[in-house]
Amino acid sequence: MFIDVADLKKSYRSDAVVNEVLKGIGMKLEKGEIGVILGPSGSGKSTLMNIIGGVDRGDSGRVVVDGVGVSSLSDDKLTDYRREDVGFVFQFYNLVPNLTIGENIEVVSNISRAPLNTDEVLAAVEMLDKKHRFPRELSGGEQQRVSIARAIVKNPKLLLCDEPTGALDYETSRSILRLLQQVNQKFGTTILMITHNAAIAAMAHRVFKLRSGEIAEASVNQTVVPAERIEW
Amino acid sequence: MAALNRRIFRILKANALRYIGVLLLIILGSATFIAAAGVSQNLAALVTTFTEGHRQEDLSFSTDKAIPDLATLEKESDASIEEYLSFDSALSDSLTLRLLSKTEKVNIPAVIEGRALAGPGEILLDPAFAKANGYPVGSQINAAGKTYNVVGFMSLPHYIYPLKNVYDIMVSPDNFGVGVISREEFADIDNAASIYSVRFNDRTQSLNSQAVQLRERLHAAGITESDWIDIMNNKRARMAWASITGLKTMSIPLPAAMFLLCCLIIGIMIWRMIRREAVIIGTLYAQGYRRRELMRHYLTLPLLLALTGGVIGSALALPSIAPMVTALVSYYNVPVTDIELSFVNVLIGILLPVLFLGVSSYLVIRTELKRSPAELMKGDEQKAKVNALERALKLERFKFSTKFKVREQLRSISRLIFLLLGVIGVSVLMLFGFTIMSSFNYVFNSSTADTYHFEYEYAFRELQSGEAPAGAEVFAAGRFYPENNEGIEFYVSGIEPESTLLTLKDSKGNPLPNNQINITKPLADRLGIKAGDSVNLINKDDGKPYIFHIDAVAESYVEQFIFMPIGELNAKLGLPANSYMGLWSTRKLDIPDEQLAGTKNLSELPSAMDEMFRSTASMVAAMTMVACVVGLIIIYLVTSLIIEENRNTISLFKIFGYRRREVRSLILDSSTLVIVAGFIIGIPLVAASFGAMYGYLGKMINLVLPTIISPLYVVVCFAAIMLTYQFSKLLCAKQVDTVSMSEALKAGTE
Repeated sequence: MFIDVADLKKSYRSDAVVNEVLKGIGMKLEKGEIGVILGPSGSGKSTLMNIIGGVDRGDSGRVVVDGVGVSSLSDDKLTDYRREDVGFVFQFYNLVPNLTIGENIEVVSNISRAPLNTDEVLAAVEMLDKKHRFPRELSGGEQQRVSIARAIVKNPKLLLCDEPTGALDYETSRSILRLLQQVNQKFGTTILMITHNAAIAAMAHRVFKLRSGEIAEASVNQTVVPAERIEW
Repeated sequence: MAALNRRIFRILKANALRYIGVLLLIILGSATFIAAAGVSQNLAALVTTFTEGHRQEDLSFSTDKAIPDLATLEKESDASIEEYLSFDSALSDSLTLRLLSKTEKVNIPAVIEGRALAGPGEILLDPAFAKANGYPVGSQINAAGKTYNVVGFMSLPHYIYPLKNVYDIMVSPDNFGVGVISREEFADIDNAASIYSVRFNDRTQSLNSQAVQLRERLHAAGITESDWIDIMNNKRARMAWASITGLKTMSIPLPAAMFLLCCLIIGIMIWRMIRREAVIIGTLYAQGYRRRELMRHYLTLPLLLALTGGVIGSALALPSIAPMVTALVSYYNVPVTDIELSFVNVLIGILLPVLFLGVSSYLVIRTELKRSPAELMKGDEQKAKVNALERALKLERFKFSTKFKVREQLRSISRLIFLLLGVIGVSVLMLFGFTIMSSFNYVFNSSTADTYHFEYEYAFRELQSGEAPAGAEVFAAGRFYPENNEGIEFYVSGIEPESTLLTLKDSKGNPLPNNQINITKPLADRLGIKAGDSVNLINKDDGKPYIFHIDAVAESYVEQFIFMPIGELNAKLGLPANSYMGLWSTRKLDIPDEQLAGTKNLSELPSAMDEMFRSTASMVAAMTMVACVVGLIIIYLVTSLIIEENRNTISLFKIFGYRRREVRSLILDSSTLVIVAGFIIGIPLVAASFGAMYGYLGKMINLVLPTIISPLYVVVCFAAIMLTYQFSKLLCAKQVDTVSMSEALKAGTE
């Protein structure tokens, strides 16, 4: 198993209130697969993804990614893990506004041990001609393409996407989903995606439905649909 | 509104360090300005009040016989002329007390402790002499064969700097002092010298021409004068004036500039902080708050800071003025009677930050409030904007960290200006003090040692003739000023054409021959003349014009002089061919004291300089300290602004796997370039401001200094600035570390 999560628990404490966000989550994803986590707001999707991505830590349970026990890594090792193995795509792109598109990609390639060629990655997301532009000069969809390019330039083992189409219109969303599917196919990158949109589950190999911090339903999709055929 | 106003204290509390920095900057700026302005005004007032109130002489002279009808001469000359008596009483082998008769019209003594003379056997002493030799008020002193009761201490307008001879360099209260006794006491003293002091009544007319006319009247009455010394050349009076004018000149512009800079920097700082509040302003606006309510709310914080800083600054500065003035004039005998604390200065000290911060905040808030609530609530508009400079930059060939740092600095032009101005200001402040030290050091040590190769200079009372003793050379000197500018006075000195005791050099360092007319650089600069020019000069003694053809300009800052062969000068002035006024000698000569108007021992120069440097060095140390503190605050404020404005980027870096030191380096080191640039820009600025200041000093006190920016001190200043920078980075590092990864993860979702 590429991702193996078992009995993962996480709670947040503020003053006297304890908020149990993850209540013993278990999930598995094979290498090269696309996994989709579906669930309403507050169901614990982002927390689960943050723990898998090494941005946060669980209170208990097991999180193993490609044979590495993420939950037991030291802070420094966790940094190395994010640096080398994980790519992030955010709902609101999170590009650095005062860096050009090319430079935004360099933010990540700059620290990677064996990054892909920036131009090739930009060409792959069809953004090479915008390399010298600034984020503000691009549409939302274009910015998300850059965000994907930035995430894959390090050639990560795992690509984590937090609502990648949440801020985009229908057509743009479909093109982004198509791009993610291409990345998965072209680079063999394992992708774990969070979304509210149940229709997106059609392009995933595995689907996990979260409700109130628990996996309500986990299913394997036998007929993965090409992204361009998804409709909602 | 009340609920909203509670925010102000919470904002202050949440960003305590930053606001303490702003407050400190206002306090420092305001306190330095008020203190400097107060000191400067009081210094000037003290000297002017004293010299005018106690009627300082314009000139003094002795005569071969008593002036028969003084009243008529006074009337004809429109002057107060008063004769006083002077007798040097040797109290021991090394201690002389000069007894002077009390005057009523000119050089009136000011009693600064004890009481005035009231009866026989009473004396007023110069306080430094009394202190050095143990004569408190109420004690007795034996002088000129008589015992006097010390009834008080006094200051004399023509003995502010009590030198034994007018050409001496340093006062020495252990060896010499002045006492005032009533004229009647002189009845028992033989051989007292009689000296006339003159003060012209018409202060608007040229004092030089009035002096020339007075001299002509004396000659017409068959009286020959000697020891003619006008106040401009009397170091006993001029030294204090020169020094105090110098202090005054330097004490105002620098603190004023620093104060303005502080206000400007804080203005920019507040401006940026308000812009960052756009979302909250928009939200409040949307919920029905009126513009003026929001304006009032957002003005409260800067005004509160400005007012608090101004008041604390004034409170700190006011009590320090009197001790500072006293300390600065302690070198001189000037009565520190009344130190005034200027209400206007305090008002400026408080109102200037209020005005600056108030206006800049008002303008920013007004601009913000012109935008619609919806636009304001978007908030990230400003963040995403890219300015023309950022757009124009082509940085492809640089590595990522360089690109990021350059872009980070150019992200905000106002922030960049704020940091650049701050560093320039701090560099100038630091270099200023060191440059003063270098300039003085160059003039008094290197330049003097390179030019003069004698140890003693003897100036005679009367014209001498004949050969100079072995190891000595003769010189003559006449006091001149250019036509139409009496403010510039200098000596034209006649020297031996083959002189080995004076070496002047040209700008390339080659020695100039002494058998030609050479002018020193500072004088040439002031007169605006160059080699090959002819210059028309008026002789102060006879008021006649003379033409001098200048052969070369000597790169020597020793003093303002024209040097020429003594024979030519004597011939020009109609003096006997082999006559001279003084001697330069490599050894001490045995010349009777009564023949001498003054002796200058060049070996005293280093100790005189030490004395002077002691106060200069402490001033430099204080300036460097202040500069470091200001620098620290400015760099800290900018760096925390950068961190604040980059929280999302820092957070992103952490998510992407940047290590702690990598994030710190990208964010905190981005200012290095600006700091180095600011320092480099500061160097020519210091040179330019010194040019201007020295030019002013030259006009005011006849002192021209070269601007010497010593490479060693530049390195010292640079090191101090870089250390300050490193320290501020250390303070800010924690702020970078505390930015959490969740900030970028939640970005845009709130």
